[in-house]
Amino acid sequence: MEQFFQQLTNGLAVGGIYALIALGYTMVYGVLKLINFAHGDLFTIGAYLGLTLLTSLALTDHVGGFLGVTILAVMVMGLVGIIGILLERIAYRPLRQSPRLSAVVSALGASIFFQNAIMLTYGAKFYVYPQDLLPVMPVNIFGLSIPLMRIIILAASVLMMIALYLFVQKTRIGTAIRAAAIDQGAARLMGIDVNFVIMIVFFIGPALGGAAGLMVGVYYGQINFTMGWIYGLKAFTAAILGGIGNIPGAMLGGLLLGVVEALGAAYISIAWKDAIAFFVLILILIVRPTGLLGERVAEKI
Amino acid sequence: MNKIAGWIAIFCLLFAPALFAADPVKIGLMGPMTGSWASEGQEMKQVLELLADEYNQQGGVLGRKIQILTQDDGGDPRTASLAANRLVSQKIIAVVGTYGSSITEATQNIYDEAGVVQIANGSTAIRLSEKGLKNFFRTCPRDDEQGKVATATIQKLGGKKVAILHDNTSYAKGLAEESRANLKTANVEVVFFDALTPGERDYNAILTKLKGADPDFVFFTGYYPEAGLLLRQKKEMGWDVPFMGGDAVNNPTLVETAGAAAAQGFYFLSPPLPKDLDTPEAKSFVEAFTKKHGHAPKSIYPVLAGDGFRVLVEAIKATDSVEAEKISAYLKSSLKDFPGLTGTLAFDDKGDRVGEVYRVYKVDGEGQFVLEP
Repeated sequence: MEQFFQQLTNGLAVGGIYALIALGYTMVYGVLKLINFAHGDLFTIGAYLGLTLLTSLALTDHVGGFLGVTILAVMVMGLVGIIGILLERIAYRPLRQSPRLSAVVSALGASIFFQNAIMLTYGAKFYVYPQDLLPVMPVNIFGLSIPLMRIIILAASVLMMIALYLFVQKTRIGTAIRAAAIDQGAARLMGIDVNFVIMIVFFIGPALGGAAGLMVGVYYGQINFTMGWIYGLKAFTAAILGGIGNIPGAMLGGLLLGVVEALGAAYISIAWKDAIAFFVLILILIVRPTGLLGERVAEKI
Repeated sequence: MNKIAGWIAIFCLLFAPALFAADPVKIGLMGPMTGSWASEGQEMKQVLELLADEYNQQGGVLGRKIQILTQDDGGDPRTASLAANRLVSQKIIAVVGTYGSSITEATQNIYDEAGVVQIANGSTAIRLSEKGLKNFFRTCPRDDEQGKVATATIQKLGGKKVAILHDNTSYAKGLAEESRANLKTANVEVVFFDALTPGERDYNAILTKLKGADPDFVFFTGYYPEAGLLLRQKKEMGWDVPFMGGDAVNNPTLVETAGAAAAQGFYFLSPPLPKDLDTPEAKSFVEAFTKKHGHAPKSIYPVLAGDGFRVLVEAIKATDSVEAEKISAYLKSSLKDFPGLTGTLAFDDKGDRVGEVYRVYKVDGEGQFVLEP
């Protein structure tokens, strides 16, 4: 039983990261009906920018671990968000009126561009974050020893997700985002600046992806230019699992995918971990083709 | 008049060596000078040229100079077959190389049909020497050799309940299966056997399950990025079990990822690193190499190429001929305990190197790789 709960926490830690990345997929899809395939690479850029800023500014030396990493996270989120806005301007906006397939091809192209750009800028080798940025100490909860870092990651992910949910539900801009998600034309007629809404979406989604990249770097230590592929794929799966276009769905899908993977590895087979996770995805989609929370079409995003 | 005599003298000086000396003995080098293994190939070239210079200063072989002809295989089978054809048309008598197994495989038949002796230096795949090619040799050990050494090492380090983890690549899976079979014959219990997915970051689920199987020794046969993460996360779990890796973890990135504290005490198998070569031949070679290039060879595989070259020269000297058949026969039957740079050298009937090449390394407190006695 202890092993079960240990695996559960393992799964939640991985799932928290999936969920954070999945939010980027789901927001963009909600408003533009576009799968932003470059999102996984924005996540990678977050990890690399984090490392560059960390080593060049030496923030953590001046203000201590926690505050340093928090300031770093804000900077990384801002920078990756700006890259997201540029991506939309350059690769997606000119194709807004074209058939949807053109935008998908453009997204794939952007993904390849980013991946190669990272490789050419930083090189193909593995990069390693400095050790012990944050204290490594296990916390005892109900007799389980859980590393503090893992709790911080999960808490930070959940906090960001709640903040996003409140932003979309309670603010004026959030209302505009929801309106644009339902019907862009009608929203424009109601005086909503749809281009501005899309810009906001392309700032928030990549910013969250970049934050996830920084978390992976700080916690796991090792980054390389292809890491966005696996994380992107899993997060995309999580977004579909929860119902793409739906923010609570992306959170639920991410956490669920992480837990299914961990438990599948624990009780069936490690080598078959991914196969089990995708099998569960297929099962859920057969029963609920719109994903777990995807049915309330009117309340998309 | 004087002017003409002067010209004649100059011409005589220029052409005299070509007129009177015999043709040089041409030995090919096929290596990855470009591509992702370029550092290996370029060092192979430096090693062979250094050794050839040394022989030539002592008068060469059979009274002739040795000439090294280099071709780039690019670490790619198609480029390699072109390189092999080019070398064959340059009338080489033997070739040293190459590094990757699939690259060597693409060229084996070309050299065999041309009657050229081939001595590979980094190609460890078992099948290469199981084809019955008369003139194929290699100075590196075969993959199944590593499985045997792994079993012996696990027993020596006191493993009774062993967990084996691989990553489903053909190399790592092969080594894992080989080791499992050997451990079974040696009556060591294998309590865990499974594969992780390379390229991920979080292996906590795997480690938790691994810990549940309660092994007293873990053998990971995959590559260094995953090995580093496993060590780091194992430390974080507070699990203190001896860990060992195969020769694919031999990279400083392992220690960087894990952190020196987590990597401390990690064992791995590897052919000796150039800094740990201890024979007198090796010491003087490393010294000469350092003098010329400013540093010791960075990888062991170029040194193994050097060994291939040295046994070739030895065989040419001993048989007093440059015929492939005689050289091959000599290498297989008469060459015994040749003092190579990487230890004593001899070959079996298949052309595989006889004798142990693998060493056990352990990571110390500073993250350095230290040779276990």
